[in-house]
Amino acid sequence: MIRFDDVSFGYNDKGGTVQHISFTLKKACITAIIGANGAGKSTVSKLMRGLIRPSSGRVFLEEQDMAGMKVSQLAARIGFLFQNPDRQICKNTVREELLFSLQFTVPDRDRQAACCEEVLAALCLNPDDDPMVLSRGERQRVAMATAMVHKPELLILDEPTTGLDYRECTEIMDYVRSLNRNGTTVAMVCHDMEIVQDYADEVLVMSAGRLIASGSTAAVFRNREILDAASLLPPQIVDLSLRLGEGYENISDVDGMAKAIAGKGAKA
Amino acid sequence: MRGVLDYVPGNTILHRLDPRTKLLISLMICIAAFISDSEIFLLGLLALNLLFAFIGGVTAQALRMLKGLSKACVFMFILQVLFIQQGEPYFSFIGIHITDYGVRTAYMVILRLLDATLPLSLMLTVTRLTDLSNALVVHWHLPYQYAFTVTTALHFIPVFFNDMQAITEAQIARGVSLDTRNPIKKIKLMIPMSVPLLVSSVKKTEQEAIAVELRGFNLRTRASTYKVPHMHAADAAALLLGAVLIAAAVLLNR
Ligand SMILES: Nc1ncnc2c1ncn2[C@@H]1O[C@H](COP(=O)(O)OP(=O)(O)O)[C@@H](O)[C@H]1O
Ligand SMILES: [Mg+2]
Repeated sequence: MIRFDDVSFGYNDKGGTVQHISFTLKKACITAIIGANGAGKSTVSKLMRGLIRPSSGRVFLEEQDMAGMKVSQLAARIGFLFQNPDRQICKNTVREELLFSLQFTVPDRDRQAACCEEVLAALCLNPDDDPMVLSRGERQRVAMATAMVHKPELLILDEPTTGLDYRECTEIMDYVRSLNRNGTTVAMVCHDMEIVQDYADEVLVMSAGRLIASGSTAAVFRNREILDAASLLPPQIVDLSLRLGEGYENISDVDGMAKAIAGKGAKA
Repeated sequence: MRGVLDYVPGNTILHRLDPRTKLLISLMICIAAFISDSEIFLLGLLALNLLFAFIGGVTAQALRMLKGLSKACVFMFILQVLFIQQGEPYFSFIGIHITDYGVRTAYMVILRLLDATLPLSLMLTVTRLTDLSNALVVHWHLPYQYAFTVTTALHFIPVFFNDMQAITEAQIARGVSLDTRNPIKKIKLMIPMSVPLLVSSVKKTEQEAIAVELRGFNLRTRASTYKVPHMHAADAAALLLGAVLIAAAVLLNR
C-alpha cells in the first residue's frame, strides 16, 4: 500500500528526526507503529500522509511517488486522525463539519449528503450536535468521521485511544476493525500494547528515529531484545505465556490460555 | 520569519549592556532614521545596524530579517513609484509616470523602513525578555503585572505559530485545499480555521492564568528581583553614540 524507500527527515537544519526508514505497509492489514515517546512515530505517520516531505528517500503510494501528488486531494485516498481532535474541528454542527471535509473531493450535493449519513450512522453521531460541547471521546469520533467521509483506502491513526476511557476506546477500535474487515488498510501509532496485541496484525518498532524491527504482532512481542531496545513491555498475556514456557509460549489470548491450562490440569 | 526574533545566547558586549541602554539606543536609532533626509546618513545607519549585528554575533539573524523585510520593501517601492507623479518622468505608460522624484522618494522610504525596524528587532536577539522587563520594573517602576503580561504575550507568539501550523496540517489532512497557490482561495479557507486556533488560545490563556494565580501571582508585596542590572561606562558610551546620531541627523538636514 505504502512503501518507504530509505526515508530520512529532520524538522530543522539539525536534521535526523527519523533516519533511513524503509518498510512496506501491507494491504488490508492493521499495522501498529510502536516505540517510546519521541521515537519519531508521529513523524513517520505524517510522512505517510504526505503532510511533510522526506528530506531524502522516497515515499510511494501504490507504487506512485507521493512527491508529485497534491496533499489535500489525497484525502480521498488516505484518512488521517490526529492525536488532538480539536485541530480538525471548526464548524458549528457535526453535519457542517463533515460537509466541509467533503466539498473539496465530492462535487455532487446528493452524494455528499449520502456519504455523511453513512458515516454518522456508523459512528453513532448526532448530525445537529455542536462538536465543541461534546465530550473528548465524542469529539474523537467526529474527527474520525471527518476523515472517514471520504471513504479512504488507507486510514492513519495517531494515538487514537489516548485520553479515552475503556468503553470509548473499544468503541473506536471496534469501528477501526470493522473498517479493516471491509478492506481498509490501517496504520496506527499506539502506546497501549494491550490494544496493539488485540487489534494489530503487524507492528513496526521504532527507537530514536530508526525502524529497529517489523513483523507480525505475535513474533515481535515474543522478542525480548527488540522490546528492550525500544523500551517497551510486552502485553500481559504474552508475558505470562512466555513465563509459563513449554506448551504455552505461542498462546496470545485469554481464551486460548484458559483452555490450555484447563487441558493440562485434566491431564495431571 | 520564524525564530528570527528569538534570544541568541552569548556574552558579547551587546549582551552585557544594560537592557535599558539597549532599548534606548534602539529607539534613538529609529528617531535618527526618521529625522534624517540624507541618503548617506541612512546608508550609514544601515551599516551601523549590521555592524552591531556582527558584534552581537547575530549576523545570520540580521540577514534573515533583511530577507523577510525585502518583500515588504518591494511592495512599498512599487506603491510609491506608482503614486508619486511629481518630477521628471523617466518613462510613462497608460498615463502613469515613473519619475526621478518618485524613485528617489521610494528608495528613501525603504532605507528608512530598514533603519527603523532593524534596531528593535536586533535588540530582542541580544536581550533576554525577562531581563528587559526586570530592568523596567526595578528602575522605571513599571508595574510588574504589566511587564509580566507583555513578556508572556511575546512568549505566546511562537506557541500560536506552532498551533496555526498544526491546525493547517490537520485541515489539509481532511481534504481542505489549503495547499492551493491561489491566495484569495487560501484566505477564504483560513477564516473557518481561526475557530480552532481561537479555542486553543483561550484555553491556553485561561490555564496560564490559573497556574500563575496558584503560584501566588498577586501576593507579591515587594520587589524580589534576583538580578538588578546596572549602568556601566559602556552604557554611557552607547547612549552618547545615540545622542550623536540624532544630532548628526538634525545637522545634516540643514
Ligand atoms: N514540529 C516539530 N518541530 C520540531 N521538532 C519536532 C516537531 N515535531 C516533533 N519534533 C521532534 O521530533 C522528534 C520525534 O517526534 P515525534 O515523531 O512526534 O515522536 P513520537 O510521536 O514517537 O512521540 C521529537 O524529538 C520531537 O521533539
Ligand atoms: Mg506522537
